[in-house]
Amino acid sequence: MPKVLNSSYDELIEKVQEIFWLKGFKGISIKELSSELDISQNVLYNKYSKEMLFLDSLNYYTNNYSDPFLKQLRETTEGLNSLKEFFYTLIDALINKTFPRSCLMVNTVVELRNENTDVVLKYDDYLTTLKDSYIVVLEKAYKLGQFKNKTKINEYADFLLGIIFSVSILYKIYTKEELRNYIEEQLTFIQ
Amino acid sequence: MFRNFTLMRYKEYNRDAVLEKAIRLFWQKGFNGCSINEIVKATGVNRFSLYHEFGNKEGILYASLELYRERYSKNKLDILKTSDGGLHETFIQFYTAFLENSHPMAGCYFIHVGTELADVDEQIRKSLSNYLNEIQLQIQDLLIRNNIDEKSKIYAKHFLGLFCTVMSFCLIHSPTEYREYVANGINIILPSYAESIKQ
Repeated sequence: MPKVLNSSYDELIEKVQEIFWLKGFKGISIKELSSELDISQNVLYNKYSKEMLFLDSLNYYTNNYSDPFLKQLRETTEGLNSLKEFFYTLIDALINKTFPRSCLMVNTVVELRNENTDVVLKYDDYLTTLKDSYIVVLEKAYKLGQFKNKTKINEYADFLLGIIFSVSILYKIYTKEELRNYIEEQLTFIQ
Repeated sequence: MFRNFTLMRYKEYNRDAVLEKAIRLFWQKGFNGCSINEIVKATGVNRFSLYHEFGNKEGILYASLELYRERYSKNKLDILKTSDGGLHETFIQFYTAFLENSHPMAGCYFIHVGTELADVDEQIRKSLSNYLNEIQLQIQDLLIRNNIDEKSKIYAKHFLGLFCTVMSFCLIHSPTEYREYVANGINIILPSYAESIKQ
């Protein structure tokens, strides 16, 4: 008797996003997914598709992790110091392996590139929200007199956008101390 | 004697050809995304011979990283050593060497494999670390050659950071966006230098 789906779709996504986060999209086959989720391959094939599960995993990630985290960042009041704290939290999460495997969006960019339009739209959205959040904090930092050149806010935000990508690699070879220094020095470039 | 020599040469050629195919396969599908059967199919070498030569699937991956370093990343890293253009131009040349028209694919195989496996495979973590350290040292040498002695180590670290960032960005940005991003990064890390070349 093939097993049928006995949990809600939301519960399914909660489980499946962790698997994708850990293994990537291509790193797990329908067969393995079916056994890890305890759902028959037939149901996975006919009722859902691997792609649909993956896209909803990305939605789950933005709704549950990145959006609340970035909302918090935008509400901070200490400018560059708040940015530093934000990146420190990110480093702690990476080092302590709070999450299955670094940042799901960064992993997705590296793994899937431009191969799937729907996926591209998802990470573009994510990167836009990230950059906008940096701009909000940089404007506060400028008002606090933490740097001089207001016309450079957009360029600084682009530069900061790179940090999640570089740190997602560097945490594999740096100690926590080295990563914190890296962040502090990056922020000194904002003048 | 002669016959042995020819055999050896033949085998070496074969080995590299196998690894070439493995690089492309791992790069496109990820290490965990392809089975040994797919490697057999792509390389045309049977499982027994593959295991005899490389030990296991990981052995193929490790050897493929070595080949990549020798065959594809060495000449890109050499730009830092040999370019006789200005500092800004050398950096642009170096970072864009990993763009889409680069061989065998856009980006860097070490970063790609490291992203997937450095957390779970100590040997991969070490070779990623050696690779990135080498890049940082060469950047530092380049900075010193351009009379940036003070803080050259710190600057080199951040140019390495920029390298890590743009190895992901080059996968999703157009060449123009990519160049702009790289130039922006260089100007922010070395603003005094950016101003001096504008004059």
